[in-house]
Amino acid sequence: MNRLFKAEVVSNTHVSDTLSILKLSPAGAEAAPAPGQFYMVRVSETLDPLLRRPFSILRWDEASLEFLIKVRGRATALMRSLKCGEELDLLGPLGRGFPPPPPGATPLIVAGGVGIASVYPLIGSLARDAHVFYGAPGMRELCLIDEIRGHTERLHISTDDGSLGLKGSVVEALAGFLDTSGVTNPVVYACGPEGMAEALIGMLTERGVPGYLSIEERMACGVGACLGCVTRTVSGYRRVCREGPVFDVRELSR
Amino acid sequence: MRLEVEIGRLRLRNPVMTASGTFGYGEEYAGFVDLDRLGAVVVKGLSLTPREGNPPPRIVETPAGMLNAIGLQNIGIERFLKERLPFLRRFDTPLVVNFFGDTVDEYVRAAERLSGVDGIHALEMNISCPNKQAGWSIFGTDPDVTHRVVGSVRRVTDLTLIVKLSPNVTDIALMARAAADAGADAVSLINTITGMAIDIRTRRPKLANVTGGLSGPAVRPIGVRMVWEVSRAVAIPVIGMGGIVSAEDAIEYMLAGASAVAVGTASFLNPTAAIDVLEGIKEFMTDQGIEDVRSITGGLIEG
Ligand SMILES: Cc1cc2nc3c(=O)[nH]c(=O)nc-3n(C[C@H](O)[C@H](O)[C@H](O)COP(=O)(O)OP(=O)(O)OC[C@H]3O[C@@H](n4cnc5c(N)ncnc54)[C@H](O)[C@@H]3O)c2cc1C
Ligand SMILES: Cc1cc2nc3c(=O)[nH]c(=O)nc-3n(C[C@H](O)[C@H](O)[C@H](O)COP(=O)(O)O)c2cc1C
Ligand code: FES
Repeated sequence: MNRLFKAEVVSNTHVSDTLSILKLSPAGAEAAPAPGQFYMVRVSETLDPLLRRPFSILRWDEASLEFLIKVRGRATALMRSLKCGEELDLLGPLGRGFPPPPPGATPLIVAGGVGIASVYPLIGSLARDAHVFYGAPGMRELCLIDEIRGHTERLHISTDDGSLGLKGSVVEALAGFLDTSGVTNPVVYACGPEGMAEALIGMLTERGVPGYLSIEERMACGVGACLGCVTRTVSGYRRVCREGPVFDVRELSR
Repeated sequence: MRLEVEIGRLRLRNPVMTASGTFGYGEEYAGFVDLDRLGAVVVKGLSLTPREGNPPPRIVETPAGMLNAIGLQNIGIERFLKERLPFLRRFDTPLVVNFFGDTVDEYVRAAERLSGVDGIHALEMNISCPNKQAGWSIFGTDPDVTHRVVGSVRRVTDLTLIVKLSPNVTDIALMARAAADAGADAVSLINTITGMAIDIRTRRPKLANVTGGLSGPAVRPIGVRMVWEVSRAVAIPVIGMGGIVSAEDAIEYMLAGASAVAVGTASFLNPTAAIDVLEGIKEFMTDQGIEDVRSITGGLIEG
């Protein structure tokens, strides 16, 4: 299957001041992604921005791919302003996604901010047994709440400013749940900003709870060639684009 | 149409190679590029023993370019020979192994180990790295040191020896002459240009290593100028690189004096960049009625 292809913008929905959902229609039959995998998107044919940017797959079917984009800099600002009919160049799906939970485990899906994009595909596939913990600085940075509720009632929202759900961080919310709910065989599937990732690794390691975490690092090639995207693991530097982006929490020494 | 070029004893089916460090060990791009269509595959720089490299962040984008501070991370020569070379041997394309050392002795031992191995056709010596013997000066910035390290390697290998020059010098022609006098079969240039970027809000460098090497289209005019200077100073072939993303860029390098070119950073934006450059060169030759690609080399008209 072709992993380098063009796709046309079908819709670009602004869901908040900084978040948008970009729906693309690939030109031909492309390889199907797995939850947690990502695509390297070439945002412009010009040389500025120069490099492709990595984005997790949010949703897909035979005819379309969807991404949740948060504006951070030049490339993401350009993506927010894309119009229907415009064409993008994609490379993917890439990387190793989330492994399926072992039998009898209770999946706990954890997202911080735009990290929801990476774990969102799990919500549909694991919803029957899963709990979802979703946090952000404030309610305006949360999205897809109705869609998540359509899959599960067990959604635990938290915001740093208390504007929706529990006041505090999503890691605190998860820790509280682990300590009080008596949940058996939990396994965590998580993605979020660096600060959250650090706190989560510490919290899970302390409790001996297994988990998988999707890591972000700056990328150039996305295919393992440049060694630019490494993260430190217990077995040395590993490429986020090839050995990741999803790592076993026990692998991540911090 | 004739596309073959000669670099030392190496015969390339066409003048388009990959640049070291931007094409992994070939396998990473084999799903996108038929390696048998390339002029040569040049692999990531190797050393005698594995290197961990620098802490992240290792890369940052800059206008029409990027800074990298990979820190020469590599799996080491022995693992390369065992784990990566068998895959590359399946192709007909000449394999150029890029290597480096911390001392003259390490360069020599690396070249010895790589010579006489089935499937390795040429060596590219990266001399843009610190010389630990001489208190962290750079091998490629002192012509005497360049002459000594290249000469020492020359004495232990019969493989085609390409010396990769650092652009971080005042007079690159001087370095090229030192390499040629010491027995290099060819020189390749440019390696990355040392640069730096700062996050003005946090006031911290954007790379954990503080400085990094600039590559991509932003460096191309510098690369073209240096290839022009070097090709007039030495009689051995010059391999041009630095910011090549299209056939036009490659032809510019050839007109300046390059016998072959290498595609680097462009592969990151476009995995098929090297093949696209080759196809574009063929089109250009057809359009211009050029029969032999070698006739482009040094075709610059001055004055
Ligand atoms: C595997 C993976 C999956 C991702 N999935 C998504 C997604 O689904 N949705 C989404 O909105 N974003 C995602 N990202 C992040 C996204 O790639 C970056 O936000 C984007 O590259 C920024 O480009 P820019 O030109 O807008 O910003 P730039 O101008 O390049 O950078 C703006 C700021 O963001 C920082 N930054 C840029 N890239 C990264 C990075 N990769 N990691 C950490 N900090 C960075 C820079 O240091 C700078 O401060 C993902 C990243 C990775 C590695
Ligand atoms: C990520 C990266 C890694 C590199 N690693 C090496 C290396 O190991 N050895 C070497 O001689 N050059 C290395 N280079 C330099 C390139 O081979 C090339 O000389 C330079 O990038 C200029 O070409 P470009 O602008 O087309 O990329 C590296 C460049 C990049 C961007
Ligand atoms: S982005 Fe190049 S190795 Fe991961």
